[in-house]
Amino acid sequence: LSALVHDFLASAEAAGCTTQLGAGVELRDLPTVRAAFALADTGSVVFAPAPEQGRADWLDAETLVVLVPADRILPGLDELFAAVRERMPSALAIVTGPSRTADIEQTLVVGVHGPRELHVVVLEDEPPNHRVGSTS
Amino acid sequence: VSAERLAQQAGRFRDAAKRSLADGHRQAAIDTGTERLRTGRLHAWSALDDAQALRHRARAIRTRTIDELDLHLGTFTRAVEELGGHVRVCGTAADACAYVTDVCRRADARLVAKSKSMATEEIGLNGALEAAGLRVVETDLGEYLIQLGGGHPEHIVAPAIDLTRADAAAALSAAEQRPVEPELDELMLAARRQLRDVFKTADVGVTGANFAVAETGSICLVTNEGNADLVTALPRVHVVILGLERLVPTLAELTPLLRLLARSGTGQPLTTYTTLLTGPRRAGERDGPEELHVVVLDNGRSQLRGTRYREMLNCIRCGACLNVCPVYRKTGGAAYGPVYSGPMGAVLVPLLTGLEHAPSLPHASSLCGACTEACPVGIPLHELLLDLRRDLVEQRIGSPLERLVLSLWSYAWSTPRGYRLSTRLARLGVRLATVAGPGRTWAAARTLPRFARTRFRDRR
Repeated sequence: LSALVHDFLASAEAAGCTTQLGAGVELRDLPTVRAAFALADTGSVVFAPAPEQGRADWLDAETLVVLVPADRILPGLDELFAAVRERMPSALAIVTGPSRTADIEQTLVVGVHGPRELHVVVLEDEPPNHRVGSTS
Repeated sequence: VSAERLAQQAGRFRDAAKRSLADGHRQAAIDTGTERLRTGRLHAWSALDDAQALRHRARAIRTRTIDELDLHLGTFTRAVEELGGHVRVCGTAADACAYVTDVCRRADARLVAKSKSMATEEIGLNGALEAAGLRVVETDLGEYLIQLGGGHPEHIVAPAIDLTRADAAAALSAAEQRPVEPELDELMLAARRQLRDVFKTADVGVTGANFAVAETGSICLVTNEGNADLVTALPRVHVVILGLERLVPTLAELTPLLRLLARSGTGQPLTTYTTLLTGPRRAGERDGPEELHVVVLDNGRSQLRGTRYREMLNCIRCGACLNVCPVYRKTGGAAYGPVYSGPMGAVLVPLLTGLEHAPSLPHASSLCGACTEACPVGIPLHELLLDLRRDLVEQRIGSPLERLVLSLWSYAWSTPRGYRLSTRLARLGVRLATVAGPGRTWAAARTLPRFARTRFRDRR
C-alpha cells in the first residue's frame, strides 16, 4: 500500500468517513459518485462536474459512496491547485467528511444538508472499462 | 455607507450590553459556544508545526493583495467575463441591493435561497429583496433559525451562538406546525426537511464569497453544511456578493488562507465543503447556474486603503477575535450592532459608517490584546481600537464631560503648582471615587492604587 493511499485512508476516517480498499458488493445499490481527486493530508474527496455526474449527485444523497482511483490521490491542496489551475472546472468541491453543523449549542451533528454518511472506496489499478459501482 | 444597517442604535453599547448581562440563559449559551470555538482553535493550531510561518505568509499575502487591489480586481473581472459571468462593482449598499433586485426581476424570480453571508447582512439585502416582493430563505441552519425568530446574527461564524436547543425547537416547531423534539438530530432533520424544497424550487441563489481568486475568476465558498453548494447547484441564477478586499491573486496563495480560516474559525484542518466555482454552467453539464453575477462590494472599504486602518482590510472573517474577547464573551453580538461584532466589528463598523455613528464601539474593549494574539493574519486589533479612541477625541465626538475632565487635568498638570495640588488631593480623590460621584461604577470594578501617607516630595 502506497504511503499516499495509507495517509488518505487514515485522514478520511479521522474526518468522519468510512473507508475501504476495493469495491464491495454491498455498496452496489447506494448512490455512487466518482472523485476527480482526493487529498491525503486532510482526507478530502474532490468532485467536479462530468458528463455522467452533476453537482447534485454528490450533494443530494443521505448516504453516498465515493469511488477514489488510487492514482488520483494527491498529497494536499497545493498539489490539487497545481493540477487544476490551467483548466479550472466550473465547480471544484473539496469535501472533507459528511455534511455537518455545530450551529445549535456548538455541538456537532452530521447530515444537515449533504450526505450523513460518506463511504470512501479506494480503487487500485483498475482497468478504465471495468470500473465498479457505476449505478448512478 | 448605511450607518443605520451597521451601527448600534444611537451607539448605545452600554444599554444593550446590560440587557445581555442580565440574561443568564443567554450568558450560558454564549459562554459555552465561544469556549468550544476557542479551544477548538487552540487545538487545531497546536497541530501545525509551522503556525507562525503560515501566519506571516498569510499576512504578507493579504497586505500585498490590498496594496495592488486594482490590478487584481481587473484580472478577476476579465477572467469572470471570459467565462460568461458578469461583474458589477457597487460603491454603496443601495447600489448593490438595486443591482441584485434587478437581476432577480429580470430572471422573473419568486424565491431566493441564500447561504450565510455577512456582506449581505451588511447591505441589508434580504430586506431589499423582500420589499421587491421576493421570498428570501436563509439555508445555513443557524441563519435559518435566526430568520425564523426575526433576529440578527450574534456571531460572524456561529450566528445562532446564543440559542439553545430549546430555542431551536421552538422556532422549527412553529415553522413545521408540529412539535419538533429538542434533540440535536431531530432538529437537524427538521431543518433538512424544511429547506430541501427551498433548494429545489429557488430561482436565484445568493451567496457571499470567502475569497475570490483573480487569476482563475473563481469564487471560493466554505461551509460545513454544504448549503452554499446546494444554493449554487440548483437555482438558475447565482448572485455573489463579494467584499472588495476578499480577492486573492493566485490559487497558490489561496492554500495558506484556507488552512488558516478553517483552523481559526472552527478548529478544523479544512472546512467540510470548500468549493471553488469558476464561471456559470458549461455546455454538457447537468446542473449549476446558467447565469452568474458577481457584485463587488466597496461600501466604504476602498477609503481605508492608504490610511492607518488599512490592515483591517486583511480580515478574513474567521471570528477568532470574538471567541477570545472578554467583552464579547459577556455582551454577545447584539451590543455591537446587528451585523459585525467583537473586536473586528468594533474596528470595522466605525470605519465603514463613520465614528459619529458608532462612538461606543472603540471603547468596547479592555485593550488586553487577546484579539490581536488570536488574529490569523496579524491585524493589531487592540491598537486600532486605541487609534479610533484617539480619533474620537480629535474629532470631538467623545462625551463632553470626559473632555472637560481631561482638559482640566491637562491644565492642572501644566504647572508645578497644579501638579503638587493634584498629588496632595489624590488620597482623598481615590476614597471619594469609591463612595459617590460619576467615577463610582468605574472604581467599583477595579483595584485602585493605594497612595503613600506622605508624598515622596515631602519626605526629608
